[in-house]
Amino acid sequence: MTRDTSKRELRLTWYATVAFYQMYAVVFFLFTHIQPPGQPWYDPREVSQWFARHHGGLLFGLALIFALGGLSATSIGLITYSIRRMSVSRAFAYSYLILYSVSAVPGFMFICVALTAGAMRPDRDPKLQQWLYDLGFLSFAGTMGVFLIGSLVWMTAILLDTNGVFPKWFGYLNLCNALTEVVVAPSWIFQRGMFAWNGLISWWVDVVVFGLYTGVFILLLKRMIDRDGPLPAEAAA
Amino acid sequence: MTTVRRQATRRTPERIPGQGDMWVLVFFESLVFTSYFGVYLYYRGRHEAAFLEAQSHLDLGLGVLDTIVLLTSSWSIARCVQNARRDRHRAALRDACLTAALGVGFLGLKITEWTAQISAGRTFTSGDFFQHYFFLTIIHAVHLLIGFVVLGVLAHQLADPRRRSQKIVETCATYWHTVDFLWVLIFALLYVVR
Repeated sequence: MTRDTSKRELRLTWYATVAFYQMYAVVFFLFTHIQPPGQPWYDPREVSQWFARHHGGLLFGLALIFALGGLSATSIGLITYSIRRMSVSRAFAYSYLILYSVSAVPGFMFICVALTAGAMRPDRDPKLQQWLYDLGFLSFAGTMGVFLIGSLVWMTAILLDTNGVFPKWFGYLNLCNALTEVVVAPSWIFQRGMFAWNGLISWWVDVVVFGLYTGVFILLLKRMIDRDGPLPAEAAA
Repeated sequence: MTTVRRQATRRTPERIPGQGDMWVLVFFESLVFTSYFGVYLYYRGRHEAAFLEAQSHLDLGLGVLDTIVLLTSSWSIARCVQNARRDRHRAALRDACLTAALGVGFLGLKITEWTAQISAGRTFTSGDFFQHYFFLTIIHAVHLLIGFVVLGVLAHQLADPRRRSQKIVETCATYWHTVDFLWVLIFALLYVVR
């Protein structure tokens, strides 16, 4: 494999990452209205109405996620690859890969399953629909902490790295992101106010930090690919 | 002559202490906490009477003591940096240990305060003010716990002449000062502003 070929493959993976995050934003914010989240205090009747109101968007949008959501693996793959380029032990890369692969289930896929089930069964008891609604949003918002250790692993790798794969400030930004992920946990307790799953602190502050962090790491991954290309072993293969 | 005057008036650029990268964390965390304070002030504006009533249950004296302990820890970490700059590494290490001890003291005071509030029936779910109180003080305590790890890195640097990096020492001190700075704002908002 030549250096140029490998670089092209990395770029392809990077474009797939960009495509995934764009699809995620369009589906979650525009099609399904999962973001900003529905009201946590809805009673069963209101939850039924919420499912009815967003029925088409939920089915179309979440079908897209089921078909193409696997593209999220490209960002995990690229980040793992970035850690492999660092001067740190491979254990960091493996830990990150496993942590994020496992975390994607409660933190991303579970809400899609629960809300699709709710949308596909409009004839069911509204109390069951409310249960699916709570389960979906709580699994999505309340489990953000599962990403915490992954961010800290990436941060530690960046701070220890002597190859300069990422700037150190981005390592510190990982810490800021990890700390805001923790503050979503009270959404398990509160149905109203700033700590509810749609609250000022649990959602609005968090989504701004996460959006900024995601934009930054996507740009830095591109810079890494343009600047460094493939690993020497790949280029030599 | 003109060249001499130009050189005389040209200021030596001030060096940013530590890694410039750490200042991104300082800036970003300040923004995040500003948003938390903004949310606090928003809720306070909407429920002023309830906030004032709840605030009256906080012990201002204990808050002042917290602040004095943490400000003293900032002084000791500053001494640590100065001693490290003068190659007095044993003294710097002593200052780092003193900083950690003051940090533990601060945490002890916070735990005492939380325990007293919870024993009196005022918990994380006891109204908007106590949600803010527990949230801000706990998230600050999490920053403090990270600060202990940072102090560990600093002590590790100072302990071995082969590892010593003034830049890392200053970077660690910058983090500790940030923890202190954030506390001063939290103290002012929760305890003082009535």
